[in-house]
Amino acid sequence: MNQLSVAALVFVLFLGGLFVYVAEDIPAFGDPDSAPNRYVKLFDMDATGLVDDLDQGVIPASLNAKIGAVGLPLPSGVAKLKEGEWEAVIIPEETKQHFYPKEQKYYFIAKEGDELWVYRYSLYLRFVEEGKHETEVPNMVTYILADYRSYDTLGETTVIFTAGVAVLLLLRRTGKRPE
Amino acid sequence: MPSKDTDTGTGKGRSIIVETVTRLMVPFIQLFALYVIIHGAGGPGGGFQGGVIFASSFVLYVVAFGIVKAGNRFSERANIVLFSTGVYLYAGVGLLCILFSYGAAQFLNYGYIPLTHHFEENRALGMDLVEVGIGITVMAVITSIFFNLVWKRENEEIGEREGED
Repeated sequence: MNQLSVAALVFVLFLGGLFVYVAEDIPAFGDPDSAPNRYVKLFDMDATGLVDDLDQGVIPASLNAKIGAVGLPLPSGVAKLKEGEWEAVIIPEETKQHFYPKEQKYYFIAKEGDELWVYRYSLYLRFVEEGKHETEVPNMVTYILADYRSYDTLGETTVIFTAGVAVLLLLRRTGKRPE
Repeated sequence: MPSKDTDTGTGKGRSIIVETVTRLMVPFIQLFALYVIIHGAGGPGGGFQGGVIFASSFVLYVVAFGIVKAGNRFSERANIVLFSTGVYLYAGVGLLCILFSYGAAQFLNYGYIPLTHHFEENRALGMDLVEVGIGITVMAVITSIFFNLVWKRENEEIGEREGED
């Protein structure tokens, strides 16, 4: 083996080891602690008298009023996850045109002390509304492509690299240049 | 006579207008490509687009001056090195995040690279570095594919002519 082959082998082993680490590092699908899935807090409010309503699947009018004041769609149902944690869903009406006509998880409500903290399940919200604040980059396409989805982009770059190597192996001129 | 009328950098009456315009245009195309890469964060653009624009300047050079001259200017060996440099730059920026945070941060979590004092601005600068890596790889791969196809065609044409003779 000449020197170049050894160097190439070392680099391939290094990159392979790095990618194994990366694959272990990727959060499991739906992990609530992973960056894009972490909830975004909307507001907090006084919890007195609201917990029983939420436990029975009724959305209190004061909560609705607060959500309406923020300007987000009102939830149409509430489900209890465990003691002190609820999720509010929106069930789209049949008459309206919806691309995903199933119930959508919209709000996550947690009881902290004697306050209710209202979060939103946040993939869209985080990308669209928090991205500029979190990355200081004004271009939404760039920060989604290169930051939130950078694993994906690393894979795309590797695909292009592989295409180049394949063309090189198939078409590389052998012998002498045409003079 | 193969050497007179093949497009191998010496023969074939090329127009002086094409050569002059190419000589003028190539640096501006490359400058525009760098602009597109660097301004990927602030406006439309990014590594993929900028890399392709950069490669298109080499395509224009080959069209005007022939493959031999272009091959001398931009050697295949340098091209192969640039191939992997981009991917390693990308993966290396990701690795730096792990190293600088002593394993606490995730791969490609740019905020932990201590370029400035602000977490958010570190993320913006890390994105720029990654875009440069993408640009280098895309530029080298597109150029290599085009150069290899042209060499292939040149070789075949010369082979055919020698067969006729």
